Amino acid sequence: MTATQEQKKRREQPKARERNGAQIGQGRATPYLFSFPAIFAVSAILAFPVLYGIWQSLYRAPELGLPEEFVGGLNYSDMFSDPDFWSALYRTGIFVGGCLIVGTSLGLLFSFALYRSIGRLRWMRAATLAPYLISNVAAAVMFRLLFNSDLGLINSVLGTVGIDGPAWLSSTTWAMSVVIFTQVWTDIPLTILLLLGGLMTIDTSYLDAALVDGASAWQRARYLTIPLLAPQLVISTVWLSYSTLTGLGVVLALTGGGPIGSTTTMAMEMYNVAFRALKFNEALAIATFILILNALLTLGYVRVARRYEIEA
Amino acid sequence: MVAPLVDATKGGVRGHLAGKPRSRMAKFGHRLLVGLPLFMLAVWTFIPFLVTLSVSIKTKVETFANLGLVPQQPTINAYKEVFTDPSFLNAFVNSAIVGFGTAILTIVIGLPAAYAFARFKFRGRHLLLLFTLLPRLVPSIGILVPIYRLAVATNMLDKRITLIIVYAGTLVPLAVWLMVGFFQQIPREIEEAADVDGANLWDRLRYIVMPLAAPALITIAVLAFREAWNEFTLVLVLTTNPTTRTLPFALFKMGQSEGITNFPAEAAFAIITVLPFILVYTRLERYVVSGLTAGSSK
Repeated sequence: MTATQEQKKRREQPKARERNGAQIGQGRATPYLFSFPAIFAVSAILAFPVLYGIWQSLYRAPELGLPEEFVGGLNYSDMFSDPDFWSALYRTGIFVGGCLIVGTSLGLLFSFALYRSIGRLRWMRAATLAPYLISNVAAAVMFRLLFNSDLGLINSVLGTVGIDGPAWLSSTTWAMSVVIFTQVWTDIPLTILLLLGGLMTIDTSYLDAALVDGASAWQRARYLTIPLLAPQLVISTVWLSYSTLTGLGVVLALTGGGPIGSTTTMAMEMYNVAFRALKFNEALAIATFILILNALLTLGYVRVARRYEIEA
Repeated sequence: MVAPLVDATKGGVRGHLAGKPRSRMAKFGHRLLVGLPLFMLAVWTFIPFLVTLSVSIKTKVETFANLGLVPQQPTINAYKEVFTDPSFLNAFVNSAIVGFGTAILTIVIGLPAAYAFARFKFRGRHLLLLFTLLPRLVPSIGILVPIYRLAVATNMLDKRITLIIVYAGTLVPLAVWLMVGFFQQIPREIEEAADVDGANLWDRLRYIVMPLAAPALITIAVLAFREAWNEFTLVLVLTTNPTTRTLPFALFKMGQSEGITNFPAEAAFAIITVLPFILVYTRLERYVVSGLTAGSSK
């Protein structure tokens, strides 16, 4: 809105004025000098390394320490014929899917709760951000304590109701659920923020009309609020999927991919190949695959949203 | 938007329905429906912190003997242990240096660029702005190995300045995006008036733009500091010895050590890394929220 006003205003201004006052002309080079450091920093730290990485994924050193040679798609064909890659892909599917399901449902529940909380409970909105402010490593330490089989609160609570809790983090079946839980815990503040922002823009007259027509709370949520929240749900899905697919910190700090590789997602696999096996070029092929998969998934979400005529 | 009209009817409709006689049971059910999710949210958010805090003030023996949240013999021994640990002190200092360095460098790089994009008309500015913002989408997993190899090739491994530069680089797109939105809201007329009064570009930036954009600058500083304080994977890759490690890496190392884990000390370490930032954040929260919403509404 303001952008178009700005443009209009600019158009209305006389040319000479533009060069003097509005343009505040400090010589032609000034804007370029001003923007150069930022463009250089972004190119050097983000743009160039990504492109360089993709390019380097086409090379390989025949042996550690020998100079790298151009091998074309060899790293990729090796990657696709490696069973470790496919099991990492499978686990990534479970991880990303689990985080999306748990994160979105909890995010909806919590943002509804916060939306209804008024007055004295308003501080809760700010407090929900706390997990966003701490490092993945600190979160991992906290959840290792929480899920510890000897001294953890989870198992002692389960014990009081007569359930013998598993050794969560050393069990190949349960470790992934703890990783999903922790990842959702660190990511959910932004989801809640997004959804709460969406809820607050919903025109309450719709809800009042439904209330007059006798719709129940569940019907109002199901047929009004959630469809009206669709754009925010799409954005939060895209963001959660991005964060979990490319996220390495939580997995690395919590389990390091174990036990017996049962939580080795693709990001973790890439880290292992690069910094434990020191096969950097092969790792870059995995990284490139993750980037492409991330782009495809994002396009997919937007496509599905378009089909339902949601503009996110 | 027809907000005023809606507000006027809202009270009426709600009031009318609320006026209907409701059974005590229904009222209780309603309370539960609102209260229970909120209670779950509180448990979800705070229990991990409380558990960690509780373990950090227990003795080593008590962590195994008493699984409850309230310690029987609270002690601050674990904190003493952490504060006298040289690897903690080193990491704390490093984190502080890298945190402030990143915040300053991000603003120093981002501010002039954002000002240029918001105020100047120059050839290619749309393309250059896009080129500055688009790399925001690059996930850190995509630059982990290339940055490491570049750091090795340029002999920049194990230097705090490397961490500052890398973090600032990853934050510049966000900083420029927030500041461009903010600068565009500062009326051009104020600067024009100052220009007529003989203020040069530097004066205008120093005495008009920066004070008016203070919420945006504070927001960026806080977000940059948070990133540097918490970031884990890049520091893991870019540093190899204890003298340049930041807190997350030192805490990670502590968990990796052999033998029986010293749970109270680990918990105390985690609490100490978390607490300062949460305290700072709660003081600056108002600015951050206004900075984020004002910048992103563009």
